[in-house]
Amino acid sequence: MATVRTIVLPHYPSYPIHVCMFKDVSNAAFLRSQLLEANPDFDYAFLDAAMILSPQHLLSAAFLALHCTQVARAKTRTAHSELVFRLHPNNNIGESYRKFGISDKTSALIAVKLALKPETTAQVVAEHLGEHVKGESADPGEALEHVGMWCDVGKVRKMYKLEGVGEPKKGKRGAIVNGNASDMDERKEMESVITGIITLKGS
Amino acid sequence: MIALGLEGSANKLGIGLISHPSPNKPPIILANLRHTYISPPGTGFLPKETAAHHREWIVRLIKQAIKQAGVRIEDIDVICYTKGPGMGAPLQVVALVARTLSLLWKKSLLGVNHCVGHIEMGRAITHATNPIVLYVSGGNTQVIAYSENRYRIFGETMDIAIGNCIDRFARTLMIPNDPFPGYNVEQYAKRGKNLIELPYAVKGMDVSFSGILAAADLLAAQVGDTVAEDKRLKTEEGELVTKEDLCFSLQETIYAMLVEITERAMAHVGSKQVLVVGGVGSNLRLQEMMALMARDRGGSGFATDDRYCIDNGIMIAHAGLLEFSTRVTTPLEESTVTQRFRTDDVYVGWRND
Amino acid sequence: MALPTDDNADTASSTSTYVHKLPEPFTTSDLVVLTQGAEGLVYRTTFLTPNTPCVLKYRPPKPYRHPTLDKRLTKARLLAEARVLVKCRREGLQVPAVLGGDWEDGWLALEWVDGRTVREVLDIWVHKLGMRARDGKPDETTGGASEGDVEAQKKEQEERLWEMMRKVGRAVGRLHEIGVCHGDLTTSNLMIRHERSTQPSSQPSTENVRPRGRQTVSTMREAAMNGEGPPQYPSADATSRSNEPEDLLEGAIVMIDFGLATQTVQDEDRAVDLYVLERAFTATHPAAEHLFQEAMRVYGETFKGAKKVLKRLADVRLRGRKRTMIG
Repeated sequence: MATVRTIVLPHYPSYPIHVCMFKDVSNAAFLRSQLLEANPDFDYAFLDAAMILSPQHLLSAAFLALHCTQVARAKTRTAHSELVFRLHPNNNIGESYRKFGISDKTSALIAVKLALKPETTAQVVAEHLGEHVKGESADPGEALEHVGMWCDVGKVRKMYKLEGVGEPKKGKRGAIVNGNASDMDERKEMESVITGIITLKGS
Repeated sequence: MIALGLEGSANKLGIGLISHPSPNKPPIILANLRHTYISPPGTGFLPKETAAHHREWIVRLIKQAIKQAGVRIEDIDVICYTKGPGMGAPLQVVALVARTLSLLWKKSLLGVNHCVGHIEMGRAITHATNPIVLYVSGGNTQVIAYSENRYRIFGETMDIAIGNCIDRFARTLMIPNDPFPGYNVEQYAKRGKNLIELPYAVKGMDVSFSGILAAADLLAAQVGDTVAEDKRLKTEEGELVTKEDLCFSLQETIYAMLVEITERAMAHVGSKQVLVVGGVGSNLRLQEMMALMARDRGGSGFATDDRYCIDNGIMIAHAGLLEFSTRVTTPLEESTVTQRFRTDDVYVGWRND
Repeated sequence: MALPTDDNADTASSTSTYVHKLPEPFTTSDLVVLTQGAEGLVYRTTFLTPNTPCVLKYRPPKPYRHPTLDKRLTKARLLAEARVLVKCRREGLQVPAVLGGDWEDGWLALEWVDGRTVREVLDIWVHKLGMRARDGKPDETTGGASEGDVEAQKKEQEERLWEMMRKVGRAVGRLHEIGVCHGDLTTSNLMIRHERSTQPSSQPSTENVRPRGRQTVSTMREAAMNGEGPPQYPSADATSRSNEPEDLLEGAIVMIDFGLATQTVQDEDRAVDLYVLERAFTATHPAAEHLFQEAMRVYGETFKGAKKVLKRLADVRLRGRKRTMIG
């Protein structure tokens, strides 16, 4: 059994989002192969935890994936592939998977299941992932507050071209005048740009 | 009280006689005559020819109006004429006649702002008490709201007037001037169905139409039977674009711009009424769009018909008489005309709301 | 004559006003209307998490507009607004973050800014300090019993007000520096962020986050023109929020409502921005003119070329094409 946390997005109450986190994953290659084979039992968004900055980061992509699927404007095959696609600033689906999806070497993993059907309960997800992901389950936190704990902030910064955003000291004039920008503030600042970039993507 | 109104700021010469029986009673229209100078096809009306037209017709028209009204000269209290804005030469013709009659008949003289004439006539006819006014004609494009004894301009065109834009668009497409270009564009538009993209220029409460004319020049070269098939403009579905489509697109675009700035003014002021005046106000599609917007805001739209929204003498007589009732007159030595005369320059002493 | 519509426009009661079907996934049940301007409807709701309050801007289809044209305009304007906001955030400017949106359906979800508008704060302050119109200094005649103490206190408070104006000048200067003009810079579109003492995740539920001083372009500008205060919203959080003027001035200046913003570096556009702001300040109180000059002094030092804009502002003022319209 993996630890699963379930989030209900405002305005999409019928489609809860189940989130699990694993570290020291040893069978990423297997999981990836299941995606490539489009095995319906493995319809998840498997994300490289190093690329997820914060709960807002993850949820904004999840919201848009859900939304695009619901209003029939999705660019990819499933809601889960749409989630991976929505995370990337550009419009290339393959590139989205390479950057945000898992690779054969991924050891820190975030697995997201959008519950499009009512029978997809937290219990089902916890059992299935617990059985098939070889790794140590971690708690994403009640409000997914731990989702960003394995993030490589530098990589995320590079991905979204956020040089200088939220960075203390060498910030340009006017940026965070109040100084004393903590790690939290830095992530908050980055996140506030990223949600915008994700929203604007493709338009 | 009875006023004679003389209007000739553009190509219409209008003579009107109106009576205000008492402050609480509606005005009575005694006569409303008009004669229009129609320029040859492919041309616009020029000051010299227009002035000549007014000179030729004005005495005849005044005589006819007085006869039709059944009033005696001694019944007339004031002679009102258009002081501006408008074309210089035609304005001068009418002012000269007004001064002459004032001296001849020993009557007071009153110079009236053409735009204020439109507004007051529209209010009187429609009973809209305090509307946002969209004033659209060959020479003017303004969104106006009343506040503290002024008709304040909230938004206006940054370059050419809407009527001017329509006229020149029509000329580019070789659409006839008779009875007037805007009418013909409206008829063509009824048969159009494809929306062609035209510049939509709204900045805050102001609009701009010059970009549309530039686009029209390019489009005109790509429509019509005289253009080679392979050079003709086609829709995404491969249909040939017609002059009718261009007129349709023009109307949909420019009227949407006008309605948008009018709506913004309504939101500012919190007004629920909108009144369209001026020659372009007779366009049914503009009226329809305005009504839809007003209804969407829980308000109502008002417009007048051709007799009153197209330039006329009655509106000058009516607005003049309102001002005359506040004991204002124009001394002979100040009875000039002016081509530029802003709506908000007039002190509206007859309203106290 | 009244223009005909499907039903009688004259009797279209106010109850039928603003009935718009919201786009998916929004329903009116969990939305609170903040304003109903000409551009669209503005709601308060939550986004992504139940603890994240947000502003939802919705531009409903205009029934009078050709559907193709309507879609084109709605999309272009929402995109322009979102792009400007993201650009500002990238540059470290204080504006609401873009949380989500759908151009086809005409909505945009923005970060909720907790705080008060500069307009509200000025009203409170000008009243409290009893500022003289002549020179913007506190009016001595309104001094209390112990003259010395009151004077010193007033001086200190006054200094805070001037500091706020410097922040305004700096914020607008930065905006112009990065190539953005706001398009509707009124004191109501400048907010002072209420500094949060707690993390956002522990913010009170939406029930407690009441709208305050947030209005659309149109209503605000009109209020500014008339020199009126903003309409008061019912405020459930009055107790949780400090009404001490000193605290009101502490936060960062946040610019909001970029619905008319453009990306431009033209001095003319920048000067018009400042002109609108100046009109908004002077409409508040005669004393605010001196405050505005302080903001402009700082603006002039903010970026290369700012002094040129201030010269242009003098031209715009003189030209005063808009004078009759705004005044």
